[in-house]
Amino acid sequence: MKISRRDLLVWSAGAAAGLIVTPVPWKLLDDTSIWSQNWPWIPQPVRGPIEVKQTSCTLCPKGCGMKVKMAAGWPVGVAGLGSHPISRGALCPLGFGVHQLNWHPQRLRFVRHGSQISSWNDAGAAFAKACNEGPVVVIEGYPGRAASSVLETFSQKQNGSYRVVLGSETRALEAYEAWSGVPTSSLAYDLESAKTIVSFGAPLLDGWGTPGQFTRLWAERAAGKTNPQLRLIQLEATLSRTAARAWQWTSIPVGSESGLAAGVARVLLEERLVAAHGPMPSLTLAEAAAQTGLSTEVLRDLARTIASQTPAVAIASDDNPAVAALNVVLGSVGARGGIVRRSKRTQHYISADAELPSARALLVDASVPWDFVPKTNAEVFRFAAWDGGSSKADWLLPSPGFLEETNDIPSTPTSAIETYAVSPALTKAPHEVQSAAQFLCSLDPTFTTAEKIIHSRCEELFRARIGALQAQERTPVAKFDSAQKIDEQLSKGAIWTGGPGIPGFKCVLKEWPSVNPSDSENSSTIWPAPVLPPLATKLYRESSLREASEMRNA
Amino acid sequence: MSRTTLTFGFGLAMALLVGWVAFPRALYTQKQQPLEFRHKTHAEKSGVAECNECHAVREDGAFAGIPSMEKCATCHSERIGESKAEAVLVDNFIKPGHETPWLVYARQPANVWFSHAIHLKRAALACTECHSTYGESDQVRAYEVNRISGYSRDIWGHSISRLRRAPHEGMKMSDCEDCHARRNVEVGCLGCHE
Repeated sequence: MKISRRDLLVWSAGAAAGLIVTPVPWKLLDDTSIWSQNWPWIPQPVRGPIEVKQTSCTLCPKGCGMKVKMAAGWPVGVAGLGSHPISRGALCPLGFGVHQLNWHPQRLRFVRHGSQISSWNDAGAAFAKACNEGPVVVIEGYPGRAASSVLETFSQKQNGSYRVVLGSETRALEAYEAWSGVPTSSLAYDLESAKTIVSFGAPLLDGWGTPGQFTRLWAERAAGKTNPQLRLIQLEATLSRTAARAWQWTSIPVGSESGLAAGVARVLLEERLVAAHGPMPSLTLAEAAAQTGLSTEVLRDLARTIASQTPAVAIASDDNPAVAALNVVLGSVGARGGIVRRSKRTQHYISADAELPSARALLVDASVPWDFVPKTNAEVFRFAAWDGGSSKADWLLPSPGFLEETNDIPSTPTSAIETYAVSPALTKAPHEVQSAAQFLCSLDPTFTTAEKIIHSRCEELFRARIGALQAQERTPVAKFDSAQKIDEQLSKGAIWTGGPGIPGFKCVLKEWPSVNPSDSENSSTIWPAPVLPPLATKLYRESSLREASEMRNA
Repeated sequence: MSRTTLTFGFGLAMALLVGWVAFPRALYTQKQQPLEFRHKTHAEKSGVAECNECHAVREDGAFAGIPSMEKCATCHSERIGESKAEAVLVDNFIKPGHETPWLVYARQPANVWFSHAIHLKRAALACTECHSTYGESDQVRAYEVNRISGYSRDIWGHSISRLRRAPHEGMKMSDCEDCHARRNVEVGCLGCHE
């Protein structure tokens, strides 16, 4: 019998029909999808004893408290730490995926010089040569750490310059430094004592400050637990999440925040709703109304509402001198429920946004976000754990990732409560990494290492005998009998908390700052994330977090 | 019957035969456990009455899983029988201090966080609900591994079609979801996939 082409086709049709009613296609589909999840180059958590450790997140200066689930010594899960006095159990989407970042495809594994793979020895030699040839500018993003102290000491020794990239929330406090003399790094908002918060586009309920700080406060207010009179007035162009949940939302055009602040201040002063703490704005009420698109009556109502329940504080999404001046008029600067001084420290930082001095080399710490591109012709030595744009640096130096080095976390920016925490190295990097501080200490052994500085800071806490350590329970520092024990507790995830912010400093503003509507348009309101892991990217996008600010920047 | 019908039927029959008989056999390969072990003997001769006497949940809620060799050594520090399995246990594992590399039938993939403590204590589930009566068995069965996915056959369940399965058969995500739905227990994605 001859088998024809038609026979083969009919047989194939029969076989195909038969296969559909067998488990073959469905089982193969299932198995191949599982197979693709388990390719050998995909990192798999090690199996082993599970333990949970407390620590603080080091992705950004906010230092949220977190519980890290470790399997056989490797972090496999992260959750918020409810006992943390500032973050109070909340984490940002990136924080929830922080343990995955160490395995990110863009993780830096080798020293790179231009497009070539190089070595730490070559990088060290090139940096030492640059140091001998001229000054070095050091730029970092989380000032106040022990590692920062190493970087600052180095820049001083090199006759260089130490610059800091500040987050938008900290930049919003910069204006007060000029008027009060109190360094920006020591200033904070006393939100816990405020009764009216006027937000000029700051996403207070959408990740502003430390996640959990204001959201918990607002939730407790809603539940009637604390400060039930607290009002949040959101002045923003779009109905953001914060605007939707605020006590009052007033829509204003993008870039009109300065005009609105001036208009409100004028009404406050004209109607004597507040004691005159500041100068009269040059902008008339009619001009302010024209800028904001609101009627003069709405502006008057807004000012009366703000003044009806004090203490009131205005919060800008970025550096905005007019909003800062409104706080001066309200008498909120140096007062409870307003802008307070977190500590008596007087450390002043020069912003990296200012023009950089000419230098032979530029050392950029891993804490500096990738979107900060220094305008310089100097040779750039860029430390980073993840590659966010290697073309922006001459030397790309892999630094430790999450939980791969011991770090300390000074007080959270903008928070009135002074805190100190330590994030110990709980795991090892899968390849050779060095932080900028470690790199400098390896080049010059006379530098005090960050670990030793952390120990000395613990001794300072012990000697000062102020505040308490918050672990499972709160223990006053005065009850500790040695600095070593404080060190141990901090390394186990305890958080030192000092007292509340200190009011009572003077702020002198003689002239209303010039109102430039374009100032606000250039603001970047979010702390830029390093490199988002796939899960966090998905969560970040789908949760539409900070959607308002992103729309404004678009 | 026409030639076309016969040819079509032949193809259909071939496919059915391959799909239902040859494919399941080809898909799984068998591995032998490193040791002979008899749950029944341990229950009868050693008086081990409850599963958690060996498969304990630690104080922190973590599941200890298969008991360590230290636990076995409390009785088997020296040979207590003449069997070949006893010799292998004592000479190859207990005396050198090696843990037995058991092939775990119910091992879930690394992206799954399963808490025995919650299921045993909060939901009060019996071990047999997921593990059947394996605790009463008189021999260790062969470990069948899927050649493609690398998972134990117990995850899919013995029935290749997953039809007419016993309640304890299958440990796929859909099985977890079904059980949760039946008991009206809601768990989000992060409940199992941290």
